[in-house]
Amino acid sequence: MEKNVAVLEETEQTEESKSPTGFSIFWREIVRDKLALISLIFLVLISAFVYGISLFMNQEDIVTVDLFSIHQPPSSDFWLGTDYGGRDVFGQLIIGTRNSLSIGILVTLMSGAIGILFGLIAGYFGGTVDNIMMRILDFFMVLPFLMIVIVFVAIVPKYSIISFSLIMTLFLWMGIARLIRSKALQERELDYIQASKTMGSSNFKIMMTQMLPNLSSIIIVNMTLNLAANIGIESGLSFLGFGFPEDTPSLGTLLSYATNPQTLEFRWWIWVPPAILILVLMLAVRNVGEALKRATDARQRRG
Amino acid sequence: MAFLEVKDLKVHFPIKGGIFGRTVDYVKAVDGVSFEIEKGKTYGLVGESGSGKTTTGRAIIGLNHITAGKIVFEGKDITDPRKTKQDFRKNVQMIFQDPYSSLNAKKRVLDIVAEPLRNFEKMSKAEERKRVQELLELVGLSPESIVKYPHQFSGGQRQRIGIARAIALKPQLIIADEPVSALDVSVQAQVLNFMREIQKELGLTYLFISHDLGVIRHMCDQIGIMYRGRFVEEGTTEDIFQSPQHIYTKRLVAAIPDIDPTKREVHMQFRQKVKEEYEQSYHDYFDNQGLAYSLQPVSSTHYVALPEKG
Repeated sequence: MEKNVAVLEETEQTEESKSPTGFSIFWREIVRDKLALISLIFLVLISAFVYGISLFMNQEDIVTVDLFSIHQPPSSDFWLGTDYGGRDVFGQLIIGTRNSLSIGILVTLMSGAIGILFGLIAGYFGGTVDNIMMRILDFFMVLPFLMIVIVFVAIVPKYSIISFSLIMTLFLWMGIARLIRSKALQERELDYIQASKTMGSSNFKIMMTQMLPNLSSIIIVNMTLNLAANIGIESGLSFLGFGFPEDTPSLGTLLSYATNPQTLEFRWWIWVPPAILILVLMLAVRNVGEALKRATDARQRRG
Repeated sequence: MAFLEVKDLKVHFPIKGGIFGRTVDYVKAVDGVSFEIEKGKTYGLVGESGSGKTTTGRAIIGLNHITAGKIVFEGKDITDPRKTKQDFRKNVQMIFQDPYSSLNAKKRVLDIVAEPLRNFEKMSKAEERKRVQELLELVGLSPESIVKYPHQFSGGQRQRIGIARAIALKPQLIIADEPVSALDVSVQAQVLNFMREIQKELGLTYLFISHDLGVIRHMCDQIGIMYRGRFVEEGTTEDIFQSPQHIYTKRLVAAIPDIDPTKREVHMQFRQKVKEEYEQSYHDYFDNQGLAYSLQPVSSTHYVALPEKG
């Protein structure tokens, strides 16, 4: 008898320590998936390195043209050589990675915030509200993203990380809005939402304090995967010349030097490092994102 | 004047069809239901699945749109939930059928039970905590439960949390929508007896919705039997169980299982007889569309849906 009681108490205690879909499940899934764990460690290290070192670097100095040291191969002075303006490629790579990461994170957070709010309202109210809001969303979906970004680049004279992020956000909030809306439509039929209504909570309060926590896991997963996509989009735009100007380096601007055949063939140190970095960064974010995605679905979990 | 009066309540859901999503037809979930509940009593709504009993309950508390009819609570018209003052919400609460989906899995018990208190009463954190602990004790859960999450409780315990939340504001009327259907039989009795206890203690009025006649008999003072959105019979518990008048009620009462094995044969023959009677006299009790007629008084408390001529 006593033994039974002891066992019971023990199980109760172990149960107490875990919450149903908390960070512990995410963490367990990542630890179980070695690739995701390595990716996560790599991501943390590289962002710590990039943000740390760039504190001691002066962007003005690095992007200043130095005609006496054009196209130098890697040396002890210039670890990754110099470009056609005699600018240090290693310095540009650090600042560029920082800028690309910042843009990616900023765009993900801003588009996430807009998308979540939009999707929650549409899904929670449903019916006519949902119908009207989805038509507005459809309108944004059919706008030609690239063309409008090119026009913006022409209109806005001086680019900054903030203004560029805002332009990207304008076209990238729809995916998450749709996802949240479809989940909210399911969630609003559940009894706990109805119960909140009968207890006199306002609609806004129900959306933010009752519904949102129940959607948190898919939000985290979706935003992580979006981060990889957004870094890719920024690099793509900068590569095409519609992103940052040359005095604000990013991974994409460095990569665009490779459009010069001379650089492509003889000066690998300019474009190979950013190319590898983009590839590895996006793969790493994706690996972590996929592990998180599996963690939200009990049937796919490995941990 | 009755405590809660429902007059000719109708809840129709449109069926959309065709290319432009026009309204083709209506599902008449509740089609002209009237009843009154006295203060401190328990009124039972019984019926098979899809008979509209849950919809009636949800319409009263304002979760379903009311097509026509009137709901009067303590002399105040509360038919339109948007025009209703918030005090009504405070006085009428609901216990939900499913103890799993009716509690937010991401919230601690403290937040779940305190939600109505936060909406209506200005309390400090400490007062609120104390009140929640009192409520949990009242429903027989330990006060330490406030830091736990719903998944750490069994179905019966979860339903008690749901009840604690419903009585937090000291409401006058509680709509209990099949509160024990999702629980196993041993726990059912516990929860039901507990509900009766707090009824006496707090002077509650229940609108008790269930398909389980045993539970209804145990709990209710008055019973309304629903079939396809209408009442077929209404009366006190004795009226319904001792002298069912409508053929549908008769068959429903005959279907209650008898646990005495020696009477098995007798009981089965009785059921067969009622079944034959049901099939033969079906058209005497239901109109061409298979719907019940309007209610006619049999005695001062007992009403049966019969054709006008009798």
